[in-house]
Amino acid sequence: MQGDTVVVTANRTERKLSNVTVPVNIINAKQLQQTGSLRLTDILKEQPGLTISSGFGAGVQLQGLNPDYTIILINGEPLVGRTAGVLDLNRIALGNIKKIEIVKGPSSSLYGSEAMAGVINIITDATTAIPLQASLRYGTYQTLDAGINNSIATKSIFYQGFYNYYSTNGYSIRPNSSSRVTTPIDRFTTNQQFKVNLSDNTNLALGLRLTDEKIQNDISVSNGGTTITSNGKEHNTDQNFNLTLNHRFSNSLKTSFRGYSTEYNSKQDLVTVTGSPYYDLLNHLFQRIENQTDWSINKQLNLQIGAGSVWEGVKSTRYDSEKVRKNNSIQYGFTQLEWDANKKLIVIGGLRFDKNEAYASAFSPKISALYKLTTKQKIRFSIGEGFKAPDFRQIYLDFTNAAAGGYSVFGTAQAQQVIGQLQTMGQIGALYDNYYQLKALKPEYSTGMHLSWDYEPTVNSLLSVQVFRNDISNLIQVQQVGAYITGAQIFSYLNIGRAFTQGVEIEAKQKIAKNLIVSGGYQYLETGDKDQIAHIKAGTVYTRDANGYSRLLTLSDYVGLPNNSKHKAQLKLSYYKTNGFFANVRALYRSQWAVNNTNGNEVYDNGDEFAKGYVSVSSSVGKDYKNGFSVQVGCDNISNYIDASNLPNLPGRTYFATIKYQISKK
Amino acid sequence: MKKSLQSIALIIVLATSVIACSKSDTTTVLPVTAVTVRDIPADTVVGLSSQGMPITNGIYTFYSLEKNALVPNTDSASTKWDIAFMSTRILTNGGTSGVGLGGAFVYTGLFDDLKTISTDSVFKTDNAPTSYAITTGSGKGWYTYDQLTSLITPLAGRVLVIRTASGKYAKMEITCYYKGGTTLPASATDMDKLTKQRYYTFRYAYQPNGTKTF
Repeated sequence: MQGDTVVVTANRTERKLSNVTVPVNIINAKQLQQTGSLRLTDILKEQPGLTISSGFGAGVQLQGLNPDYTIILINGEPLVGRTAGVLDLNRIALGNIKKIEIVKGPSSSLYGSEAMAGVINIITDATTAIPLQASLRYGTYQTLDAGINNSIATKSIFYQGFYNYYSTNGYSIRPNSSSRVTTPIDRFTTNQQFKVNLSDNTNLALGLRLTDEKIQNDISVSNGGTTITSNGKEHNTDQNFNLTLNHRFSNSLKTSFRGYSTEYNSKQDLVTVTGSPYYDLLNHLFQRIENQTDWSINKQLNLQIGAGSVWEGVKSTRYDSEKVRKNNSIQYGFTQLEWDANKKLIVIGGLRFDKNEAYASAFSPKISALYKLTTKQKIRFSIGEGFKAPDFRQIYLDFTNAAAGGYSVFGTAQAQQVIGQLQTMGQIGALYDNYYQLKALKPEYSTGMHLSWDYEPTVNSLLSVQVFRNDISNLIQVQQVGAYITGAQIFSYLNIGRAFTQGVEIEAKQKIAKNLIVSGGYQYLETGDKDQIAHIKAGTVYTRDANGYSRLLTLSDYVGLPNNSKHKAQLKLSYYKTNGFFANVRALYRSQWAVNNTNGNEVYDNGDEFAKGYVSVSSSVGKDYKNGFSVQVGCDNISNYIDASNLPNLPGRTYFATIKYQISKK
Repeated sequence: MKKSLQSIALIIVLATSVIACSKSDTTTVLPVTAVTVRDIPADTVVGLSSQGMPITNGIYTFYSLEKNALVPNTDSASTKWDIAFMSTRILTNGGTSGVGLGGAFVYTGLFDDLKTISTDSVFKTDNAPTSYAITTGSGKGWYTYDQLTSLITPLAGRVLVIRTASGKYAKMEITCYYKGGTTLPASATDMDKLTKQRYYTFRYAYQPNGTKTF
């Protein structure tokens, strides 16, 4: 039963799903296998409330909030290396994953910055008892995925080694175009995990993860209509190393020391057809030490106290010097108290304080509660503060795009100094009012509220309804602060925006016949920029009618934030037999979303350009044999839906076949 | 001398006839009607260089609002034209741009709502290359430029209030910058974005009687 599943992300400690106070979705290894998912994006897009965005890699939007606002963890440790705020989830291979936990709502009280919309924690497990597993998959666009996972488990030593090689020839879904939407990639991932039980109460765990990818990147840059084609090579590496010492003093007191170091390095070399070279480097180093102590004070009270220190630095060619690392250090402390009031009620309060060197500190409280109406019905409520620290780019960027019109973007730490210098050199044509408002950035804040009702009448049926609202303030937005004498624009960042997202999520599962389960999800989402709404109400926002003539914009024309669909739904039919045969059909629907502002105002409204709503259907069939072999074939995007401009990550119809061999421990 | 006396006499005759006319007609002030002008080229792209850069002739297109007609470039030093277009820049016939009395300002609001130019409105004149009566730059005057899509969109709710070369008044709303009167979609080809741009579609109303009322 789902409720007995143990989750770790919601409380930062192990709890039964039926006892956590916040909404959690779990994707287990079996689901990953049966959908034939290869990369993290493949499976996340089929989850309720989640949308995969494109642009700077594939990121995940959670309940209408952009990819910057969801923290991605592997075994509780954050991944770094975001481009324009987006962490490319295609980087993450799924071969050795035990499960993925998705916590919705602000969780900064436990995880700090970025855990504003939610947390996605990918959990691998060194103690998985599979001595050997090997898989080979081949599919359309010469997409190859080969993986080996081996583990050794004795009474006191556990080892798991995972190796994955992925390569694809990429694809171009624009007719007559030489530039590929997804570029040819060679990617190698390994994950090595050791765990030693030093005594009955003490263990030491060591984890090492490495991803190395080479991308053949031929891109085209448009400059006022002129296209410059460049041939490029991109090389990205992502290394994570963690060491954890766990000690149990007694049944009621345990502590863990964690050390973590991760480095993301991205290097792009581009040579344009006209011969001008271009070189781009990003190096992000993140190191952290942390202690967390869990104390069961009595049967009703559980206390958690933690503290840690982060040192973080970024080097980039897009800053003033690629040789100088820009640094930030963070000291933080957090605490959480769980009160199991009685058999029906659990209340959890938590707070965290992050003291930052490079920008303002943040204080994140949260309170949540679970009330079991009956054994089958639960109500959960949570309210919490989330924050997202300004990222290095917003502080230190020093970038002029020579290829596209010569515009510049300067981070707040650079802007006034650099623009001042340019001014003395006589290169500045105009400075706007907001240039004089530039100052040290503050974190972005959100207040999130979640209320959900879960009804689980039997093991094979479930109904869950969730209402959510997020209010975000201090949004950091890129703004034009001036112009060169050539007219080229100069941008920087200001804490100016206020926005909200709110909606309803429904999930349901029902066994409709022997061996057949239908499950589905639906999300209704509303978003908006509060300042824009105020301007519309004040009658200062205009739009155009069918003749192209201006008219006043009304609130009913307003569609909110771009890239958000009002409706999203997924439906899955899953058939299985006890002899190991399985088959599934999955449909995904997303309604239209605004992509471009085309009618001459700063807001997104009904007169703007939308990406069309679409349905994509995928299916796979397979069988697990008793001798350890399993085979699977599948077809993704059967309906062959393509929208090259707005869905570059959705290739047309693709096929795959997988063969897998597994030695299970007797 | 004789000629100028004649023209003064002519002006007096004309002026009295206008007064006479308006006297007899005081109850019906004819509203000016708006006309729409389509696809006025504004230094359009004529080809590509070997480097792939767009080539244009670098010339303005001159227009008379009074006559609702194009004016040949040979008349650029006259008062025959009221406005001139070159890419996103719009000149008025005055200041550093011309010999006329022209000037302009950008009014925020609706074309139909602008019935009278308020007496405290300040008309600016061109002072090339530092400033123009119709402010240049994305989001500053009459248009925005989207870096990602490379598209120019006229700002909604902007009316160009223009003083003509002869000192009369007109109001003007630009509706499109692309050939055919429809802004291209973001997915349009780079070649289309290049060659179909720089075509103005606008509507305007010209008040020939010299008042600031439309």
